[in-house]
This record gives sequence, C-alpha cells and structure tokens, in this order.
Amino acid sequence: MMGASLSRWTMSCFAAALVAFVAAQALMVAGYGYPAAPLRAPETLLVVHLVAIGWLSLLMMGALFQFVPVLVAKPLRDPALVLPAVLCVLCGLAFLLAGFLQMAGAIEPGLPVLAWGGGLLVCGFSLSIWLLAHTLWQARPLGLSARFVATGLASLAAAMALGLAFALALSGIVDLPFAVALDQRAVPFHATAGIAGWLTFTAIGVTYRLLPMFMLSPEGDRAISRAGWLLGSAALALVVVAAPAAAFAGAGERTVALIVLAAGLCGCAAVALYGIDLAWLYRKRKRRAVELNIRASAGAFAALLLALLLLLALAATGGLAEHAGALVYLVAFGWLSGLGLSQLYKIVPFLTWLECYGPVMGRKPTPRVQDLVVERRDTGWFVLYFLGVYAGTAALLAGWPELFRLAAAATLAATLALVVEFVLARRLANVAAASRLPEGTRLPRLFIAGQRQG
Amino acid sequence: MSGAGEAALREAVMSALRVVIDPELGENVVDLGLIYRIDIAEDGAAVVEMTTTTKGCPATSYLKEAVESAAWAVPGIAYADVRLTYEPPWTPDMMSPVAQQRFGR
Repeated sequence: MMGASLSRWTMSCFAAALVAFVAAQALMVAGYGYPAAPLRAPETLLVVHLVAIGWLSLLMMGALFQFVPVLVAKPLRDPALVLPAVLCVLCGLAFLLAGFLQMAGAIEPGLPVLAWGGGLLVCGFSLSIWLLAHTLWQARPLGLSARFVATGLASLAAAMALGLAFALALSGIVDLPFAVALDQRAVPFHATAGIAGWLTFTAIGVTYRLLPMFMLSPEGDRAISRAGWLLGSAALALVVVAAPAAAFAGAGERTVALIVLAAGLCGCAAVALYGIDLAWLYRKRKRRAVELNIRASAGAFAALLLALLLLLALAATGGLAEHAGALVYLVAFGWLSGLGLSQLYKIVPFLTWLECYGPVMGRKPTPRVQDLVVERRDTGWFVLYFLGVYAGTAALLAGWPELFRLAAAATLAATLALVVEFVLARRLANVAAASRLPEGTRLPRLFIAGQRQG
Repeated sequence: MSGAGEAALREAVMSALRVVIDPELGENVVDLGLIYRIDIAEDGAAVVEMTTTTKGCPATSYLKEAVESAAWAVPGIAYADVRLTYEPPWTPDMMSPVAQQRFGR
C-alpha cells in the first residue's frame, strides 16, 4: 500500500507526553523552578526539560512516526527502531531529571546521572532522526511540509549535540576549557535549536499538511510558503551554526550580536509569512464550520503572533534578558502546547476510530469520528487553557509569581480535563452503547495501538 | 451484458458505495468524489478506480477494502477489483453539490 498504516507506538508516546506535561504543570503550581528560582537554576532546568523533552518532544516524535509516512506517501523506514528510540528518550529523561535533582542537592546518587541521561537521550533522538530522515530521504524531492520537518530534524541534532556537551561538562566528565565556555555561552543557541528549530519548525511543517486536510483548503507549494521555509532555515543556520562558530573562533561580541540580529530578522519574517499563509488557508477553506481542533488552534496561532510581538518589543526596549522566561513560556505553553493539545483532540479520536472501526468499514454501520468526542462540552477547557497561558505570561512579565501559580493551576485543570476526554475517546465512552462495538470490532487498548499493516 | 444492463449495475454499485464513509470527513466516498470510475465486464467483474483525500492517509487500506466489499456485495457483481490512483489528485471541488452544501459552502 502507498503510504501509512497505524503507528503502533504513537499512542504510547502521546500518553507518556501527557503524563510529563501534567507533572511539569503540577510542579509549576507548587512553585517549583522559575519564577521562584532563577532561570538557570537546576529546579528550573528540571521543569524546562520535563516540558521540552517529556511533553513536547515525545508528542512530536509520536506524531511524526504516524504522519511522516503521510507527508511523503511512503511507509516508515526501520519501524522496529521506534520502540528502542522511545525507551531511550524516556530513560534518558529520567536520568537527566535525576541529574538536575543532584545539582539542586535534593538527591545524591553518587553517579554521573546527568551524563548518562545525555547519552541515552542522544541514542533515542539519533534513532528517531535516523528512521524519520531515512523515510524522508526516499521521498525526494520533498514537498513543503516535509522540508520543514527535515529542517526540524537537523535542528534536533544540533540541540542534542549541544545538550550532550552541557551534560558532560556539568557532570565533570569533560574537564576542558572548551566545554566550560560552551556551557556558559551556548545555552541560548541550544534553546533556540530546540524550541525554534526542532519543535516550531516541525510543528509548522505538520500544520501545512493537517490544516488543509481538516479545513478542506487547497494544498499548495506557494512561493510565500517556500520563502518562509528559506528565511526560517537561514535564521536557524545563523543562530545555531554561524553564531556559535563565530563566538568560538574569537569574533567579538558585536559580530556575534549582528549575526543573532540577522537571524532574528529572518525568523520574524518567516513567522510573519507563516501567519499570512494561515490566513490564506483559512479564507480558502471549503469546510465553513470547522471542528473544535481547528477553532482551538486559533489560540495557539494567536500565542505565536503575540510571542513575535513580545520578542520585538523586548528587543527594542532592551528587556529581552530580563523577560526571556515569559517569552519562552508563551512559546512553549501557548504556541507549541496549545497546538499540541488542539491537534490531539482530533488525532486521538481519528486513530482510535481507524483502529476500532476501520476493519468493518463498509460492512457494518459505524459511528463517525466526531461521535467519539463531545465538542460542546470540551470547548470551555480550551478557553480555560489559553486564558491561563495568557494570564501566566502577563504575570511573569509583571513579576507576580502568585498570579503565575494561579494561571498554571488553570492550565493544569484544563489539561487534566482534556486528558480525561482523550481517555474517554479511547474507550469509546461517548459513543451510544447500541453502536459502540459492532460485530467484528473490539475496544482499543488505552496506550498501544493494535497492529495492522496496510 | 447490454449497455442498459451495465449502466443499471454501475448505478447499483455506486449506490452500494454510499455506505462507505470517509472517517475524517464523515461523508460517503461517492459524494466526496473519491470514486473516479466503475467498469463492469460481461462476466460481472467490476473494476473500481478510486482515490483518497490525502495521499498516504492511514485510512487508505481500510477505505479500499470497504469499497471492494461493498461493490462485491451487489447482486450481479462476480468480482470487484479496486485500484487506487492519485491522477488526478483529489480536490474539494470534486465533491458533489450535496456534499459541498453539507460542508457549508
């Protein structure tokens, strides 16, 4: 068959990712990490990596294992590597978090767990990059969505390499002036490669394919989209390759700042072009009444636009260093997490429907995918989530940590409610009992998709 | 088989295919315009040429099998062969006016 079958481990990745997301938000509500602790404190690093790796990266990996074959209309290469990749990332994350607890003085394992974590994460991400890049490679020339994903994977490799260098340096395994200097100066490059390169670029690539599917908009490789990809890729190359290279070659701070400024301008232009493209896709849609996953995504796109405006305002007023935490929070929770939750609201029922009802399609009456969720009930949870994120960003900017914890409690409550909805969708609980399980079907397992090769 | 007989059988197959619903859009494959051609030979062997809304969609194999079994169930059809094609690629403009109206156009 041309293209994709159901990915066996995607639902497991989603489940693990949601557990990490809930845990991270619970820590924030408890006042653990930033803003109660400094941005580079071990407690903050723990929460940041729980969100960036545990939630967002596992979510993205699960999505890509399922959707890269859709993007390129080729089956996933080396699917046997998916489970080892996911297990390495999970174990690596556990060791990494233990390493941050060790740095914070909370535990004393007597082992270089941070370095072990870094090593395991490199193994897991390298396996993921290998099988996804291998799948993309066989489908050249790549379409627009796949090109964004390819750039995202390259950025993941860069973020991973820098992260390993930090882990080795902080563990004291590598005791070289180079590693110490790297740790001090390269953190912004590591964060940019991870958040802007890997997560944002990949998310944009996936939306270029999913939004036309869900809204019945024209799919096209428009010049404006290609320009956005080129500008974004140039921005990433400048900030992830050129700026660190210049810094370590001994170039002055002014040169490095100019490179970062050029990258920022290219990046802002790329996001602006993406925004224009989104508006065009929405205007050209054939599906007038869009579903909740699309309506909820509007909150994420608004967060991306707000983050862009906030970046420009902070850069113009010299407040970027002071308010970097608020900016990263808005991007991670508003744009990336908001988009992730919105699309899970469609993807989980869709994959569940295929797994359960696909085998009897056309032979037995089946419910619709939309019957697996109750949109009217769930709209409020998305509203609460995005209001919480916007309030949390404002609280961080204003320096009100108690209001931030309250906002985090709102996003946590909304996330938990949506997790319950995902479980109900997996259990077909919203489907009328009479049509829930026609003959020849069976209830899907909660975390592991039943295997069916196309 | 006479021309009229083949046309009636083709119409019966088309009608049977309306029970196959594209899971993502919740609309039947005929009104979505996913069925490009139906040929029926003298011996009752049917060849159905179809597409999917997205190339590489995970629902593809399910849709193909569903179309095959729905066509095969029509009295007078001895065998159904479903062929997948992406030439021309599907666009929303291929939907029937009824389906377009349901999506709010």
